[in-house]
Amino acid sequence: MTTTPAAPAANAPAPARSGRKFNFQDYALVAVIAILIIVGGILEGSSFVSKDNFFNVLRQGSIVGVLAIGMTFVIATAGIDLSVGSMVAACGVAGGLLVDSGDLMFIVAALAFGIALGAINGAAISYGKVVPFIATLAMLLIARGLALWMSDKTPISLFSLDSVRWFGTGEILTIPSSLVVFLVVAAIGWVLLNRTPYGRYVVAVGGNPEAARIAGVKVQRILFSVYVLSGLCAGIAAVLLCGRLASASPVSGNLYELDAIAAVVIGGTSLAGGRATIVGTVLGVITFALVFNLLTLMNLAVEIQQVTKGGIILAAVLLQRRSS
Amino acid sequence: MKFKRVAPVVFTGMALMGVAACGGSDNKSDTASTPTATASASTDEAAVQGASDVKVAFSAPAADHGWLKALSDNAKAKAKELGIDMKVSDSATTSAEQADQIETLIQDKPDVLVVLPNEGEPLTPVAQKAMDQGIQVINIDREFSAASAYHTLIAGDNYGIGVQAGNFFADQLKCKGNVAEIQGIAGISVTEQRSQGFADQIKKRCNGGIKIVAQQPADFAPDKGLTVMENILQKNKDIQAVYTHDDDMGEGVAAAIENAGLQDKIWMTGAGGSKAVMNKIKEGSEWKATFLYNPAMSADAVYLASLLGQKKGLPGFAAPDIPSKIILSATTVTKDNVDQYMSLGF
Repeated sequence: MTTTPAAPAANAPAPARSGRKFNFQDYALVAVIAILIIVGGILEGSSFVSKDNFFNVLRQGSIVGVLAIGMTFVIATAGIDLSVGSMVAACGVAGGLLVDSGDLMFIVAALAFGIALGAINGAAISYGKVVPFIATLAMLLIARGLALWMSDKTPISLFSLDSVRWFGTGEILTIPSSLVVFLVVAAIGWVLLNRTPYGRYVVAVGGNPEAARIAGVKVQRILFSVYVLSGLCAGIAAVLLCGRLASASPVSGNLYELDAIAAVVIGGTSLAGGRATIVGTVLGVITFALVFNLLTLMNLAVEIQQVTKGGIILAAVLLQRRSS
Repeated sequence: MKFKRVAPVVFTGMALMGVAACGGSDNKSDTASTPTATASASTDEAAVQGASDVKVAFSAPAADHGWLKALSDNAKAKAKELGIDMKVSDSATTSAEQADQIETLIQDKPDVLVVLPNEGEPLTPVAQKAMDQGIQVINIDREFSAASAYHTLIAGDNYGIGVQAGNFFADQLKCKGNVAEIQGIAGISVTEQRSQGFADQIKKRCNGGIKIVAQQPADFAPDKGLTVMENILQKNKDIQAVYTHDDDMGEGVAAAIENAGLQDKIWMTGAGGSKAVMNKIKEGSEWKATFLYNPAMSADAVYLASLLGQKKGLPGFAAPDIPSKIILSATTVTKDNVDQYMSLGF
């Protein structure tokens, strides 16, 4: 798992990784996933451990997964984006308003709306100096309100948009298309974070914004950009979700932000900023999707599910922190 | 320096006292929206002659869902029809928030307070407070935990929806098969009653012949309905039918069934009576039925409020007062009778 630590200066080379000791933290989530699969196999047998179900789990995880990739960049700067769930609903509805204009217009509108809402978040935080928690909490309300207002509180049918539905339910060489989209977004995120100056700047801003500024990093621009990126990811997630539902619902995406944040944090990205890992985020998303899937298959009562889910999050984070 | 700190507090206090002295603004609610389906009885002329003099306040949770939106719209439309200047608070997302909004409405001393509570139990104290102050309360749908907290309850029959569903499943499956149940929000009375009615009736009619192999909440949300149903289908390939607690949420369940290509093997039912679902029932999709839960009950509640404010009973009733409980029966809507109920769809 490649963890990008904060560089002391923005233009300093990343510390060499070779020859270091085995780092338990890098493999903790892999162990958690392995344990979940073994336990699931024992409890539920072939209905859990099957190619069909694993693709089902990954397809379900892909929506929160895309959000979590954007969230990784936000959290890397020591920020938070509480608005992504509501933005998913708003982006879907914004695209849905153009349902008669065809698939491409739906996708463009959803992505553009996500970018616009992300830009408002970014501007408020980077230039308006509003605390990320408050700015994105405000956007959570604004975006949900916009979704309800634009849709007149009624789901918009997208049954006629075959290409949009393909993003949600189609396949590429038997692999779910939504999973492919998630993996592509994750790969781009990994390259951005680990192989470009931009990624180093993001982590540097999270680690020490003042030091980054002195080193020549345009801190405000970086902060602005990560929220735009998060908004774009919300737009992509909206396309995937609407494709799966064949409709744009103004009440969808509820609490997705918490799942995304939890996936990022159990993946090993520091809430305090300055340390980020895309691979960890992907593993965090898979962990969550597996837990939800297994608990549903077991047909457990909701209260037991919630306690179990909370316990697993806590255990996973404690495992992650063991070597920190 | 001290003055600078104190001044804002002083000025704010003065402003608030000024508002209190002036009685605040009239703050008319927007009642322009038309109802999706107003199915209340046609208004009796004589009974509502003085309706416009009655001060009515209306409180409901945030209309973030088709049924709640229709309920709010129907109440506003009925108030407009009766010439009532009704104050409306329908933006609360939690019971605590709604309690605060009701407290604010009470300050205005309405004659009648019409409330659809987010949850019955936590909003009972504030409704009781209104009753204690001489404000008559009409309780819509989710019952307060004390009968003294309302004058009249007008409600749909959630247990009855479960019973109707149980009968429908027993008839369609001939008391043999596996079904899944996708519930609403865990722990609220609507969910508990719809679930209990279904379980009781299936047991009564089929004595174990129909098995509920999966039972999971999906919070009345289509996206949650989708993921929950997808997971259930991974384990239970032999499900014949699905009972869902809500039409909007059911759209997600239907998507899961369609995405799995099982629409010819699995049929499903909803609850509420949305136009979209009624159309699908008519077309003959995997949707076989929905159980009507008419949001026009809010229009009836406003009509009752206009009578109550004038101290009149129901027209044509011998009793001088309005009944303390009015329970609207659940109706099964299928392909055979869908045209009859289409106008009630929201």
